[in-house]
Amino acid sequence: MSDHEELESNVAAWVLGALDRQEAEVVQAHVEGCASCRETGARLQRAVTALPLAVEEIAPPERLRDRVLAAAAASSGSTRAPSRARKVVKPPARRTVFGLLFDRLPTYAAAAAVIVALVAGLVAGDLVARSGQVMPPSEVARFTLSGHESLTGAKASVIELKADGLALVDFSGLPAVGQGRVYEVWLITSGGRADPAAVFVPDANGSKVVLVNRALQGYSLMAITDEAGPDGAQAPTQKPQMYGSVA
Amino acid sequence: MAAGSQEALAQLYDRYAGLAYGLALRVLGDPGRAEDAVQEAFLNVWNRAAAFDPARGSLRSWLLTAVRNRSIDYLRGRGAHERREQDLEPVAATVGGQDPWHEVSLKLERDAVREALSSLPPEQRQAVELAYFGGYSQAEIADMTRVPLGTVKGRMRLALEKLSS
Repeated sequence: MSDHEELESNVAAWVLGALDRQEAEVVQAHVEGCASCRETGARLQRAVTALPLAVEEIAPPERLRDRVLAAAAASSGSTRAPSRARKVVKPPARRTVFGLLFDRLPTYAAAAAVIVALVAGLVAGDLVARSGQVMPPSEVARFTLSGHESLTGAKASVIELKADGLALVDFSGLPAVGQGRVYEVWLITSGGRADPAAVFVPDANGSKVVLVNRALQGYSLMAITDEAGPDGAQAPTQKPQMYGSVA
Repeated sequence: MAAGSQEALAQLYDRYAGLAYGLALRVLGDPGRAEDAVQEAFLNVWNRAAAFDPARGSLRSWLLTAVRNRSIDYLRGRGAHERREQDLEPVAATVGGQDPWHEVSLKLERDAVREALSSLPPEQRQAVELAYFGGYSQAEIADMTRVPLGTVKGRMRLALEKLSS
């Protein structure tokens, strides 16, 4: 068996995590330089990513939810700037020029907890713009909303995580809502139908990060109105004064 | 800010906890330890969120990989820093679910994977399951199943090829 055949024969075990550390490093080093093994690895990796779905979904006990949220609250006091991920063996990624670029940029935030980084103003889009590189067509889309009239000065950054079918919206500069009222987030189709997406009350600073638990595909606009709380309205009762394109 | 983040984490928990706990239970068999593994994985994701690169995979696969890795750690009775075998990292972007089709597409994905797994020859399925859910290395699998290492490699390869098609 040639050296290459030998290495290639380990790719399946590699994506399954079934090699010891040393072997894994050897395979990874090879894959980084070998297009055909990279393709093989990426293809086999898809199968591994799907494996957890073969398991039955089981609702955990209620108390686990409380434990997780309490533990997260306790640990969120220590917010750290994004650091380089510790060196771990990585199965093949799409190693285009953009893929290599991604490796060098500080990895940027999109998950829920990363709201911390958003609020701290670390939006990787700025970094990309400064470096003059173009974002590859990716699993993430970004939009902004701006406020008008009574909401002039309010802004929001929207980060859509397409692979997860959800979006994070980071609001700032919002005036307080009246007693018993909420801001409501709408997703609006090109035909003008407005679907309710979320309601929230800004914090004392006029900020809030909101998770929109659905994909933005098929919608043209995201908009905000001031509605009666606690659940908002089924349809907007006023003209939106904050909005942006999400198409 | 903290309140906003908490709500977002709660929503993510509500969305993925069933998959996470099911996976941990499958690996560990013990509900108490499964809860611990799920909690640690969510915390891990929470604390390392700055390292999440959405271009490399979905939040779901990142989280579930953390659950799998943590569960394997528990199974092997060691802390994360002692992990001798390779850490799995999520890479391939999966086709994500889209609300309001999220539940439907999840079900379709799940049915497809189960169908594909159950149609594998038993020895191929076993090799994959021992590696992924059991955390065994290919050398250990060869020992346990009393076949040459090359045979195990071949089985893994064939199984994953079929599952990925």
